[in-house]
Amino acid sequence: MQAATLPLSGIRVVERGHGVAAAYAGRLLGTLGADVLLIEPPGGSALRRLPPFFAERSDLGVMFAYLSAGKRSIVCDEAAGLDRLLSEADVLLDDALSTVDATSDLTRSHPDLVVVSVRPFGLTGPKAGWAASELNLIHAASEGFLMPNGLSAEMFPQAPPLKIHGHFAELQGGTAAALAALAALWARPAVGGQLADVSIQDAAVALAAFAVQRHGDGSVEHRSTRSFRYGGVVECADGYVELLTLEERQWAALVELMGRPGWATVARYDDPVERGLDGPAINARIREWAKQHDVRSLVERAQALGLPMAKYDAPREVLDSPHTLARGTTASVEVDGLGPLRIVTSPYLIDGQPLELRSGPPALDSARADPGPWPVSTVAA
Amino acid sequence: MTPLDGLRILDFTAHAAGPFCTHMLAQLGAECIKVETALRPDIFRRPHPVYGRMHAATFDQVSSVKRSIRLNLKHREGPPLALRLAALSDVVAESFRPGVLDRLGVGYAEMRTAREDIVMVSISASGQSGPDSHFSGYAPMFGAWGGLGYLTGYVGGPPTEIRHVMDHAVGMHAAVATLAALQRRRATGCGCHVDVSARDVAAAFAGDALLRADAGERPERRGNEHEGIAPHGVYPTAEDDRWITIVAGGDEAWAGLLEAMHRTDLAGDPRFDTPAARYRHREDLDREVGAWTCRRSGEESVALLQSHGVAAHVSWSVAELAADEHLRQRAAIVDVDVPGAGVRAAVGSPIRFSTTSEVGLRSGTPELGEAEEYVYGALLGLARRERERLVDDGVIH
Repeated sequence: MQAATLPLSGIRVVERGHGVAAAYAGRLLGTLGADVLLIEPPGGSALRRLPPFFAERSDLGVMFAYLSAGKRSIVCDEAAGLDRLLSEADVLLDDALSTVDATSDLTRSHPDLVVVSVRPFGLTGPKAGWAASELNLIHAASEGFLMPNGLSAEMFPQAPPLKIHGHFAELQGGTAAALAALAALWARPAVGGQLADVSIQDAAVALAAFAVQRHGDGSVEHRSTRSFRYGGVVECADGYVELLTLEERQWAALVELMGRPGWATVARYDDPVERGLDGPAINARIREWAKQHDVRSLVERAQALGLPMAKYDAPREVLDSPHTLARGTTASVEVDGLGPLRIVTSPYLIDGQPLELRSGPPALDSARADPGPWPVSTVAA
Repeated sequence: MTPLDGLRILDFTAHAAGPFCTHMLAQLGAECIKVETALRPDIFRRPHPVYGRMHAATFDQVSSVKRSIRLNLKHREGPPLALRLAALSDVVAESFRPGVLDRLGVGYAEMRTAREDIVMVSISASGQSGPDSHFSGYAPMFGAWGGLGYLTGYVGGPPTEIRHVMDHAVGMHAAVATLAALQRRRATGCGCHVDVSARDVAAAFAGDALLRADAGERPERRGNEHEGIAPHGVYPTAEDDRWITIVAGGDEAWAGLLEAMHRTDLAGDPRFDTPAARYRHREDLDREVGAWTCRRSGEESVALLQSHGVAAHVSWSVAELAADEHLRQRAAIVDVDVPGAGVRAAVGSPIRFSTTSEVGLRSGTPELGEAEEYVYGALLGLARRERERLVDDGVIH
């Protein structure tokens, strides 16, 4: 998509953050067309130093490279310079200021500025000052305690509860921060700028809404009992698939796919409740059957029958998938020292067109040479 | 006041991901009209035996704050009525399989004839285009296709399914894209069709690993570990099935941890004298930390560790989450009074605004068709006699 037609074309965002959440908020807004300027201290943002690092470039954090692509960087550690940049900005994404008073000072001096604070536990409440990283936060939002289910839970019954790969909670915090920024921008003509307070824990808790509702309904969820009664992660001859039959027609498709074996066509199994009660026995049959089959042909045949089944793709396979390539949801960007690398742009297409990244991750202070719309010459070097 | 006062969404989404998108926007103040048919109500209004639940139990958290109407799109009078409602709406949201609304005559092209600057958001498993766009799927499949499921799991174990949190993460991303599209409409007068692919949201959560893969590396499952950081784990406590998380990678946090554990003797241990050394010897380190945590309660350890600047938290059960004083003070968890079910905990808005502050759960879950008088009568201007005819003919059904 051309930059001028991107949804947020003309919106300017200053990002002053060290964490993953603020960086992802900036990344989402940037990919949607906003000009994002990363304010860094003289040594660079802490995110640059967050491991893991690339094997071939041990000084470049992978998360920084992923989340900072498309942004510009300016080194600025003086209040006057920041003030001048904010006077040109629509949105400030911040994880540095730790009190409502400090952030409110900014909205007073820049009345049209949308200030979004995104911190582990937010700006208010008894834990506002607590330290936390991803592992703490995903487990502070209950999804950690509820993971894993299914095959993993069966194989490792004594293991501690499990986090989701990477920075799931923090990225969700970033998504909520981007949503906060856009909602406040929508309200700006009526009310001017304001402060939005986003907590990564709150954002991750929002995702756990169903578990909270069930708790209120008297149902206690636990990772050892939350598994699907049958289906879930199933091992095949050469890999794993996910299989689910939530609707009757999907169960019928599974029976068809298995070649209508006698055990699956007994009258009792016409009743989904009976099947749910008999889950472990059904699962044993499904697993025995699946081990005889290759993943790719099985998924193809299942989907042709309308049966929800998916291959567990490794990262390389996701990149090489004809579907990923056809939709253009990754782009090639230059990563200094590593050459061009393919990187996830955005999970959206707009009017059928993928979004774009204007560049790879920025070198420190890159905006001095490439200021874009920002008045960087007024900021002390 | 709310930030999205005055916006109206015509909502054809069902199940979890799509409804969570419009639920977020409704909590931020948009008026959301949820369209269903009695012929096939939202699956979440019905029981779910495959989950082991014999009653509907998860509808409220994506459907409160919405208005409900019935509309049978398969009746020949259904689609024209849908288009008249679209003409009064800013956003149309849907989560059918790609192509279904086109076949019914209410796809994006028709919606645009009803209102030229309409923003339509389509949320699907694999997107509206591409060779797999016809694939059906649920949350664990999005994770499987996007690489996130492959990467999640214990070292040496299988990939792991990611449940409703994946649906809801898709919905939150869709809400972001919808508001961005509205921002463009405000600037240019142009609407657009936003195509959100759930598997691509999962891939975005695995974007770090995909980038490494293109650099020639092979990221694998690491359990609760984080490459390069130790201690970084989930540790047992003196209580049954109660765990705490501790992350103390930097030198300052490491010093705080040793103080809290009264183990400053380890400061001089060459296995642990730099972050890199601690990571190399993380199994030894985890034994030391675990031996300390398992002698006391989770709350006691966490309070002590936080007072020393160490990132730590109990791995909350849902009951603890629902009672968490911090979350309640922030209104991230609120009590709702459900007719027939009493007072129970619910998740509120994850965002607090200083000015447009009235966000959150402002009303309960609607009964099927509860807002028809308002929507078909007050909004659309259909007289009672005409509405009754549409009901009798099975259009409003």
